Amino acid sequence: MTNTLHRQGKAENLKKDFIVFMTTAAGINREGSASEIRKFMRICQKYNPINMGNVKSGNIYQDGVEVEEFIANLGEGAGCTAVFADLDTVQRVVEELIQADLGISINISGLLDEVQECCRKAGITRHSAEHSLGFWGARERLPERETLEINTLCGHGMVSFNLIRKMIEYVKLRRLTPKKAALIMAKCCECGAFNPARAEKLLEKIKKGDVTPSGKPVEE
Amino acid sequence: MEIDKEKCVGCGNCHAVCTMGAISLDEDGKSIVNQDQCVECSVCYRFLKDERYWPWMVRAIRRVLSVCHLGYLADVDVCPTGALTPPVLEWPRSLRGMFSDPTIVHPGTGIYGRGTEEIKSNDVTGRLRKGEAGLVVEMGRPGIGAFLWDIEKVAMALARLNADFEAKNPVTQLMADTRTGKIKDAVLNEKVLSAIIEIKVKLDRIPDFLQALAQIQKEVDTVISVGVASRCLPDGSIPHEEWVRKAGYTLSLNGKTNLGLGRPLFKETEK
Repeated sequence: MTNTLHRQGKAENLKKDFIVFMTTAAGINREGSASEIRKFMRICQKYNPINMGNVKSGNIYQDGVEVEEFIANLGEGAGCTAVFADLDTVQRVVEELIQADLGISINISGLLDEVQECCRKAGITRHSAEHSLGFWGARERLPERETLEINTLCGHGMVSFNLIRKMIEYVKLRRLTPKKAALIMAKCCECGAFNPARAEKLLEKIKKGDVTPSGKPVEE
Repeated sequence: MEIDKEKCVGCGNCHAVCTMGAISLDEDGKSIVNQDQCVECSVCYRFLKDERYWPWMVRAIRRVLSVCHLGYLADVDVCPTGALTPPVLEWPRSLRGMFSDPTIVHPGTGIYGRGTEEIKSNDVTGRLRKGEAGLVVEMGRPGIGAFLWDIEKVAMALARLNADFEAKNPVTQLMADTRTGKIKDAVLNEKVLSAIIEIKVKLDRIPDFLQALAQIQKEVDTVISVGVASRCLPDGSIPHEEWVRKAGYTLSLNGKTNLGLGRPLFKETEK
């Protein structure tokens, strides 16, 4: 899945958005991977991720989730995800993952040059890389830029355009704080790739009037 | 998704949560799902907590409040009466859930939802090798959804260039003929949140495929998220960059990197 490939935003926003995820391969190392998945998550947890999860178990912002128990209950599966807000932390996570030698594929979504530098410092050469070539087709059907930026934080598309608009409205009316609104949206994203800190920052800017939702599709 | 009209109190919380905007208020003041547009992602059912209130009680309180010109605004993440009811889906409608609900394991790939492993496990699978690129054409993303008839148009346009469709991909598995990209008639009227056409091409053919995509994109009523991937060279550089630039397209600043930590590492000499 191209789940985290098409996140939108300027470079300054993307610098605070790195998704580290483990992907098992069916028939090669998926079977019996539960222990490695839990080790991966425990390593990530040490570095205070903004979000964690997997589609089988949900994410840490869902109702009644206790992180230790969440990790302990993770079983064999396709993989899992953790989100971090800065490259220095990602660097330390990668170095510890190399040490741990879990034997499962590890990927990072984020600014490619920065991730490449992270690999170089850690003494590894990246294996494969993927770029987005953007949105094609009926682009006139896309929503305004701010809504799109939040929507693409969940690659499975679980945070609807209308919910984002509703959260923006509620924040402007002070019915919800930006933080609360961001965490509500994070609950929708099953796999834990949503970055609530980025969503919160954008909602704060909208609240202060630093960003005025254009009300126009991204094409214009 | 279905809504139990006996339980629904018309609070409207599910309307905003619906990824396709397929839920609205019916003339009777209760919510209704447009079944043509619903993609069975079930996010409404999972996200909205069932408060288990008695419908008669909620309605009575509302009536009293309205007499006093007052209203009640429920929390945004609840369904007060648990009116959302996931139906048992039969083929071909069940296909909507397989592609749109990330909590469902796709029977053809063993992966949750519409996804594929693509480059995420390339270090152990060797799915993309030296000199090859992966083109991932995700129809309906972000947030618009796609009917299979539109997906077929794009698949057939790429097939005309002798596309090598990835076998372990949910869209490929719906094709009646991978040489033509024709999708089985029985599923063409189904709508999904998104679906990924995944092909493997030689690096120097990237411009041809992007050109074909540029032409066919005008004929579909949905958006397409396009991605391109390849195995890095020994110095860590990315070979597809040159070919995408030659084709006249801009590469994103952000992207996905496979660190190469999987084991056993795939060796190019393997078949």
